[in-house]
Parts: sequence; structure tokens; C-alpha cells
Amino acid sequence: MSSRVGLNWIWQSAKAMIVTGKHLFEPRTTEGLRPAESRAPRYRASFALVHNEHGEEACIGCKLCEKICPSDVITVVGGPKELSEATGKKRGTCTDFVLDLQACIICELCVQVCPVDAILMVREQEVPGYSREDLVLTMDKLYANEHDKALYWGSGSALMEMQNPKKEASS
Amino acid sequence: MTEFPPRVDPHFDIEEYDPEADLMALNMGPQHPSTHGVMRIKLFLDGETIVKAVPYPGYLHRGVEKLCEKLTYVQITPIFDKHDYVAPMTNEQAINLAFEKLLGLEVPLRARVLRTILAELQRIASHLLWLGTFTLDIGGTIGGGASMMMYTFREREMILDLFEALTGCRFHYNTHCPGGNRHDVPEGWETVVKAVLDAIEPRFDEYEALCDNDIFLVRTEGIGVLPPDLALELGQTGPVLRASGVDHDLRRDAPYHAYDLVDVRVAVDDGCDSLARYKVRVAEMRESVRLVRLLLPMLPQGPIVGSKPIKSLIQFKAAAGQVYVGMETPRGELGTYLIGGGDQRGAAPYRCKIRPPSLHAMAALPYLLPGHFLSDVVTVLGSLDPIMGEVDR
Repeated sequence: MSSRVGLNWIWQSAKAMIVTGKHLFEPRTTEGLRPAESRAPRYRASFALVHNEHGEEACIGCKLCEKICPSDVITVVGGPKELSEATGKKRGTCTDFVLDLQACIICELCVQVCPVDAILMVREQEVPGYSREDLVLTMDKLYANEHDKALYWGSGSALMEMQNPKKEASS
Repeated sequence: MTEFPPRVDPHFDIEEYDPEADLMALNMGPQHPSTHGVMRIKLFLDGETIVKAVPYPGYLHRGVEKLCEKLTYVQITPIFDKHDYVAPMTNEQAINLAFEKLLGLEVPLRARVLRTILAELQRIASHLLWLGTFTLDIGGTIGGGASMMMYTFREREMILDLFEALTGCRFHYNTHCPGGNRHDVPEGWETVVKAVLDAIEPRFDEYEALCDNDIFLVRTEGIGVLPPDLALELGQTGPVLRASGVDHDLRRDAPYHAYDLVDVRVAVDDGCDSLARYKVRVAEMRESVRLVRLLLPMLPQGPIVGSKPIKSLIQFKAAAGQVYVGMETPRGELGTYLIGGGDQRGAAPYRCKIRPPSLHAMAALPYLLPGHFLSDVVTVLGSLDPIMGEVDR
């Protein structure tokens, strides 16, 4: 190891002080936590269950999301098939839907596989709670999220459309 | 030909050491601010000089390889984000390259170019985080290193914002799937990338101005000398190998993604010490900026997924077969060895072996540490840049 003697430090310190001094005239380096509005449009944080265009609960209890979840955090209890008043067709129902957000890895696979666009992600994070149960999203909380929180852009069909766009009408 | 110090014996029996010496065993870690995760090094000290060092990994073992045997091809990608948590994007790409080779899927050109851009952006972000924490650990820059960390994290935030705009997450993206990408480029993304690159590139000069001082040089020059022959014997890859003067880079030597479309200039340094590793990483960041600038106009129109998009759990099926795919992540060659046909349905791998570059970097510690002072452990460990999530998996 060579011993460094001399006056190098004057020039070296001056160079570093110039860099540091430049930051006096620049915006602040640190900034606070940004609100959800300033996030990117695709920002995804939490979940919501939605109603379809006929005002029915969109989930048909097909359990595709439960099967694909890599961390097994979704539990779906399917109900009996009921006659839909709006369309006059029989459709499946869902009696209970629980999503344990503690172990969720926000991978978006449940949104991607949903055939009826029933589960969406929301752009606002869940607030920290005082007990573990606060972070388990029950069916009521998921349907409340549909109105209380900002939904993000994607749904199962929107993701499909992006990954596999329909062929333009051949002109 | 430079003279290297004689190679130390890492299995040297400490009982045979001079009994008169002031010998002390010291455990560094498992919880230590500079160990990049949870790791323990057992150090035998004579005074303040290290006589023997034994690293003990395994504190962050999460059983990723075993999990891969249970999950199907569709589910493994989000799990792989977690094992190198500083560069998740390249981890996803590595496992998906292996899937595509095993399943025989074609990746469209748009997805290949996009993956290359993402990999290079991730390399900048990963090296920026390394530079910030490394200078913070050794404290050689003006301001004790803390200002440097603030600067590098500011630039890294810009890149994470780019990833957020593309995938919706700042980390753990799950944006790749076998056969392509899940998220297409949003409108105006290329313009933002160019603006970010323009903002970041002049900063590299500032970092070098901050690091070019005697304190930094004395603490890094000649510390942790890894000769090229030892580096090759220990299986080093990435910046650690290139800083030992071996010109090896998978991006140029075995191109994957769209690296065959561009000419990759590989940064090599003959210094073999911690300073050389710093120089190589800064040069790599500049090169990554150049590559992204070259690749952005090349982004063609077209589909981003070659196969059908993910719609079911057992969508991808492969008969038994074995593949090995290596990929140059920011830390070196991340190899994935896959044997297909684990599940009865053929939708899960039978075995998945990960060859993490950080594990091999850790293996150099018993050779590099003896002879140095206790305070140099932080320098050597920092310059190797191991991520413990990747070492233990």
C-alpha cells in the first residue's frame, strides 16, 4: 500500500465540493411518499371484486384464481347456479371469497386468468392495521374496495387484449 | 506480468497457528449492516489482521428450488423475482429463457428487444444500488459516503419509475411469461426512457469525481486481490471476473435476447482488486446507457407474446428433457438447469437447479480476506456484491 503524501487532497476535495455545491441549486434529493394519484396508471397494490354491467356480483365462483395463485392466498367458495334476471341465463355464484393479503405477492396472475373480469387491482395500498385480520380481505372488504378505492386500468380481458391484440380488420 | 501474493489455504487448521499469538475468533453477522442480507463470517484475528475466514451462508434459505418442483411453469416466474431482490427483472428473464428452451417456444422480436432494454436498465439500477451501499460502507467519499448513497438512490428511483410505468410494480414485476412479455410498452414510454438516460448519464462523472479521492483509493487499491487463475478456478463470473482481467461476457460470447443486434463493448480491468471492480461496474453502467439508446429505436411493432397468453394453470407442458441456460445478470452468469416432466400432467419441472453468481463470489472470501485488516472485510465483501437472497435461494 503506497502512502499518499502531497497536496492532492486540495484538488480532490474541491472537485467533490463542486459536485456537492451544484446540488444546492437543484431540487431536493429526498422526497416524501407520493400519493397514489401521482403513481403510474398501471400501479397495482391491492384488490377489489367488482359488479358486472348488469349490476350483479361478477364472480361466478370458477376457482381459476384460487388454482393459479402461487402463494395459495385465495379461497373461493362456489355457490349454486342461479338464474340471472338480467340475461335470463344460468350462471354460477360465489358465496365466499377470501384473499389473504399478508402472503400475497401482487403477481397479477389472478387478474389475468379471470374469465369474467371479476377481480381487479386497486391503486391504493391497504393501510397498516393493528391485527393480522385487518389484512385479510374478506368478500365485504373486496366489494367495498370497488367503490372506495381507485381501480386500475387492467382486467382479465384488457390484459389479454394487450398480449394478444385482435387482428385489425384486414383492409 | 504482475506479481500476485501467494495463494492462501482456506482450509488451514487454526490450531496450528502460533500459540503465542493474540488469537481471537469473531463472528461478523448474521445481522451486520454491511453484509447485504443475513450472512455470517467467522473470522480468526491475530490482533487486527485476519488469519482465517469462514463464511456461513444459509440464513436466508427459502427453498426456491424445491418450490419450483411443486409449482407449474406459469407460477414460477413471480417466485423467481424474490431470489435476487436487487435485480428481479433479470431473474425472471433467466428462468423464462430456460422455460422457452425446454418448451420450444419462439419469442417475437419485439419482446426480445424489450427484454434487452429491461435487462440493461436493471443492470444500471442494480449497479447504482451497489455503488451507493459500497461507498456508504467504506465511507471514503466526501460526506462520509451518505451523500453518494442519496445521489445513486435518486437515479435508481427514476429507473424504478420506468418499471412502474411499464409493469405496475416497482419491484417483483412478474412481467415475463414463457414465450414473451405480459406487459406491452405504454404510450410515450420510450420518450421517458430517453429523458431518464439523459438525466442519469452526466451523473456518472459526478460519482467518479466524488470517488476520486485518496481515502477511497487507499481503502480499495490492492484490497482483495483476486488473480485471474483463482477467479476462473472458483467459477467467478460477471464484473468480478472481468475485474480480474478475463474478457468474458455472455452478452457478447453467447448472445441471447436481442444482444446479437448490437455490439456489446465489454469492460475489462487488469487491477484484480476492489478498485478494479468499482471501475468495471461504473464502465458497465455507461455501456448499458449506450445499449439502451441503441436499442430503443429498434423496438419493432408486433406481438409481444409468441405463445397464447397465460389463461390456465397447466397451459405449458413439456415432456422430460433437460436444458441449461446461462444469462448475464448484473452479478454474473445466472444459470438455470431444468429437467421437465415433473408433474403427471407435465406442467411442472422435475428439477430446477439455479447457479447463482453470488454464491461463487462468496466462495472467494476465504481466499481474499486473510492478511487484511478487519475493516477491509467490508470493502472486500462490498466489492464482490453478493446478494444473500441469491446465495441461499
